[in-house]
Amino acid sequence: MNKGTSLNNDTSENMKRSDEPIWWGLFSAGGVCFAVFVPAAILFIALLIPAGIIAPEALSFDRARSMLFSLPGLIFIGVVICLPLFHAAHRIRHGLHDLKLGKEHLNKRVTYGGAALLSALALVGFAVGIL
Amino acid sequence: MAKQTSYFPELKRNWWLKHPYFKKYMAREATVLPLVFFLVCLLVGLFSLLQGAESWQGWLRFMQNPLVIAVNALAFIASLFHAWTFFQLFPRVMPLRVGGRALPPNLMVLGQWFGVVVVMILAAWIFMRGL
Repeated sequence: MNKGTSLNNDTSENMKRSDEPIWWGLFSAGGVCFAVFVPAAILFIALLIPAGIIAPEALSFDRARSMLFSLPGLIFIGVVICLPLFHAAHRIRHGLHDLKLGKEHLNKRVTYGGAALLSALALVGFAVGIL
Repeated sequence: MAKQTSYFPELKRNWWLKHPYFKKYMAREATVLPLVFFLVCLLVGLFSLLQGAESWQGWLRFMQNPLVIAVNALAFIASLFHAWTFFQLFPRVMPLRVGGRALPPNLMVLGQWFGVVVVMILAAWIFMRGL
């Protein structure tokens, strides 16, 4: 890019492109999912059905399998599991910084790495389920 | 480089306890903790679904544990609290104009809550059809 007009030529050429926009984008997308899709998921899967307010047959083995191992199931995994995981990772990373816990570069690896690992597990589980 | 001679007050770990605004900020950061619990529950559910009907029944019983329901109830409240804070950001980050007039922020927040309700109705239909 326009090297001539740059104020500090020596650093701008060596400057690495920041990866923050990626994490910020995943954080925002996950935040929307956490706000819009997760409340309904918790309400039905973790509260109404376990409490017996909705019949447990709603999540019978066959029903759960056919619901999860389908295209809507893949969308569910994306918007209710994977994206909220990256949202959580971002908040935990910055929460640790706020509490002055750990080292920044290590916190970053552990939090985003954890979100990526759990997301990959969910997708592998889905792949095994549809095969 | 010249030695730093300016005074930098050290930030203590409990800095956020000193003002209600910061406490609210940290509460919002903490909303992801019960969320992570719920997400891990879902991941365990996914893998128990892969292991067969018996394992799935075990997961359904685990979800009925009063302690698990209590943490998930906390996750539900946390998701709504997160939604409340997150929806207020949208009109500030991306103010919308309709017909040359700025859309009132309250209307945009209300629209997002409407989205949450629509998703809940959709979830009710998905889980309760044919019961």
